[in-house]
Amino acid sequence: MTTSTPAIRLRGVTKRFPGSSEDAVSDLDLDVEQGSIVVLVGPSGCGKTTTLRMINRLIEPTSGTIEIEGQDVAALPTTQLRRGIGYVIQQVGLFPHRTIEANIATVPRTLGWDKGRIRARVEELVDVVGIDRHMLTRYPDELSGGQQQRVGVARALAADPPVLLMDEPFGAVDPIVRTRLQDELLELQSRVHKTIVLVTHDLDEAVKIADRIVLLNVGGVVEQYASPDQLLRQPASEFVASFVGEDRSMRRLNLSTVADLPYHHGPVVEVGASPAQARSAMEDEGSEWLGLTDGACFLGWVEGTEVVDGRRLGDLHRFLPAAQVRPDSSLRNAMEVILNSRTTVAVIDDDGAFGGVVTLERIRRALAAPAADDATSPEGALPDAANAGTAAADPATGHGR
Amino acid sequence: MSAVHLAAPPTPTPPVGGTSIEVAATWLAQAAVPRDTTLAQWLLDPDTWTGRAGILTSLADTVVLVVAVIVTSILLAVPTAAYLAHKRRAELASAWVVNIGRAIPTFAIAGLLVPISLRAGYGFEPWPIFIALVLLTVPPMYLSTYTAIKQVDPAAVNAARAMGFNERSVLFTVELPLALTVIFTGIRVASVQVVATEPIRAFLGGDGLGRYVRDGIGQNNPTLTLGGALLIAILAGGTAVLFKGLEFLAKPPGVRRLSGGESTARKVRRQLVSD
Amino acid sequence: MPLTTSAANPLIRWSYFTEQWDRIQEALLQHIQLTLLAVAAGFVISAGLAFLGLRYRWSIGPITLFAATLYTIPSVAFFGVLVNYLGLGLLTALIPLTAFTILILVTNILDGFNAVPAPVREAADGMGLTPTQRLFTVEIPIAVPYMINGLRIATVTTVGLVTVAAIIGYGGLGRLILDGLRRTFWTPLTIGASLSILLALLFDLLFFLLGAKLTPWAKRKQTL
Repeated sequence: MTTSTPAIRLRGVTKRFPGSSEDAVSDLDLDVEQGSIVVLVGPSGCGKTTTLRMINRLIEPTSGTIEIEGQDVAALPTTQLRRGIGYVIQQVGLFPHRTIEANIATVPRTLGWDKGRIRARVEELVDVVGIDRHMLTRYPDELSGGQQQRVGVARALAADPPVLLMDEPFGAVDPIVRTRLQDELLELQSRVHKTIVLVTHDLDEAVKIADRIVLLNVGGVVEQYASPDQLLRQPASEFVASFVGEDRSMRRLNLSTVADLPYHHGPVVEVGASPAQARSAMEDEGSEWLGLTDGACFLGWVEGTEVVDGRRLGDLHRFLPAAQVRPDSSLRNAMEVILNSRTTVAVIDDDGAFGGVVTLERIRRALAAPAADDATSPEGALPDAANAGTAAADPATGHGR
Repeated sequence: MSAVHLAAPPTPTPPVGGTSIEVAATWLAQAAVPRDTTLAQWLLDPDTWTGRAGILTSLADTVVLVVAVIVTSILLAVPTAAYLAHKRRAELASAWVVNIGRAIPTFAIAGLLVPISLRAGYGFEPWPIFIALVLLTVPPMYLSTYTAIKQVDPAAVNAARAMGFNERSVLFTVELPLALTVIFTGIRVASVQVVATEPIRAFLGGDGLGRYVRDGIGQNNPTLTLGGALLIAILAGGTAVLFKGLEFLAKPPGVRRLSGGESTARKVRRQLVSD
Repeated sequence: MPLTTSAANPLIRWSYFTEQWDRIQEALLQHIQLTLLAVAAGFVISAGLAFLGLRYRWSIGPITLFAATLYTIPSVAFFGVLVNYLGLGLLTALIPLTAFTILILVTNILDGFNAVPAPVREAADGMGLTPTQRLFTVEIPIAVPYMINGLRIATVTTVGLVTVAAIIGYGGLGRLILDGLRRTFWTPLTIGASLSILLALLFDLLFFLLGAKLTPWAKRKQTL
């Protein structure tokens, strides 16, 4: 999208290990865009780690070419090549006999940077990956697994390589730390814009992190190379469908946010509206409940049966909304909020301002929609007419009836 | 040149409480062999093998001492280490004991003990060398037993406890059988070391197979020195091979052959899988 | 006879120190010299063997067997055989002493290199360290504690074996021990034996401290 030359280009890359009758990776073509995160995922034996390790030539391909920014990697001395590529592995591989500072400084030192520059770079990096500076004089054994992995990332970034290879980087830490490290990686990427190739066996991780996912089958065959949403929405083969699993719809809910849905006002009227206007709004939505706003502010829900001529809407008993979501909440989160509140609708709270409503039905429709060309924005796929019945149950607190 | 003979002067056994001078005289008794005797001639002469200074007597001396040392050391080291390791006690002390044990020079210790033994009326032999060799042997046996027990899969131990084994049964029916091969390796290494070290006894007022090297050096007689060295080396090598063989046999399923009757390991295995 | 009573032949006669100081000093220095020479030579040989073993994995078995065989040779036999060919001298004492260190040192050096975690090697390669850089900045430093441990055991063991070299007349403090036994005169025996034990303990301590100093990252793992 941004540049015409891909940062990494694999053409016809094949690897067959000595003594094996099968290719570990077979005739692989792959382009990785500059500044994007491409995740290689697949079952064990699919050659994803082999592919990764061929990029920095820890494994030499049997045939085919690999280029990084137009430069054939086979033409460079391995050491020079690798110094220009950050490499992070699951077990981190920090040098146990060196302090954190010395670990991070490894590549700058071999590149012959002067001390002041190394020191400044190390301090910059620990800030970036979120390690306290007083940890610099410690040894790796004194750090937790999550901290070690952060140091591993800092070490890989030390010489500011344009490309970062990560082999199951979060595989060895517990789920809570893993989630945090994933978030931090995305955060970091939004600032450093590296070209990242990451290997994982965890589809959820791939879906969360990737701009594009390469799903490999045994023998290094590419089954699908697509955005996470497209992979989940339109599996290219039986294999992909079974790999992404029955719960792929649930996985897709993680990908879209409330803001991705088209705006939906819902059965909501200004507090000064007439009862007739209010009833018409409820009928349009098929709703038994009415929401009231005062300008940008959502006041609450009132029961439809109370909306009668002669009573001002502002005088009716109002229930505060039980379900509220923010525009950047994931659809999965929105669904959980709605289900937990025993309602079918959540009010979108856009920094204090009313931002429309989201219903279970609209979430379902978003998932059921056919694939869009630009898969990251599902709006185009959503039906314009939002005439679905909103709610039989009350949108306010469960005790509201 | 048939006049090969071991002129062993009468070697008076020192009376208990005898003077140091008399004891020293005993030690000076040497096997005399003419210098132009070849090694083959020496080894083929029946007189070389028999008599008070003969190889058979010397071999018996050595074997008795070595066996006594090994048995004593096993009795001292293995139960102690097994108990402490089972209780997970004295872990630091164990490492310390082993290091100190290594730092004890056997010859020096035996030497130090000689005057003490003499004064107590026990003579040059065999207590000083015996004690020194036991000190040499105990640490490796202790170490191997301790680590062997400690390394037993905790799952097996916990399973046994969960089934209501008491601590004694845990140690005897689970930990010891599972640790046996490793313990035996320690015994083997230590035993070979004893055999290889025992000949210094000949320089501490004793005899044994080391006497020929001592006498050979003393008389500047290469035949005697080489012959003695050969005998010692054969014994050490033989011991190593013997123990290797035993170790091979001791490996499961041969555990039974060593422990006698039904293998304890098998008994535990059966107990662990039933119920 | 003056030597027959405890009073005439005490375990130690302190005046011996002043009267025979030159002898004690010479024996002590020779003991240290023999120990250090044997361990140094053993280390050079063992490093070469370990290098061979790491380069050609199949050779580890034969190397270990060779070292173990050397270690099994009874010291008395080894000294006794060599004295016939090399006479009474430094080399006759040094060769067996060196041979006995090899098993200990080779084993520990190999352990040290095997202790380098595979991910650490992979990370080093992945960062573009050359094999030489990897060896000197990663593998050797990680193997150092194991090497020090090997040197510690080898040195302490050698201190004990040097006394046995006295049987061929080149045994440092062992000569005092042997002399005491021959003459049934306890003072040199006690001094020689005690000093050799002290020397072993001293070397043990020195190597422990050296190990702690050289490996600050493993400070909590070391035991005396």
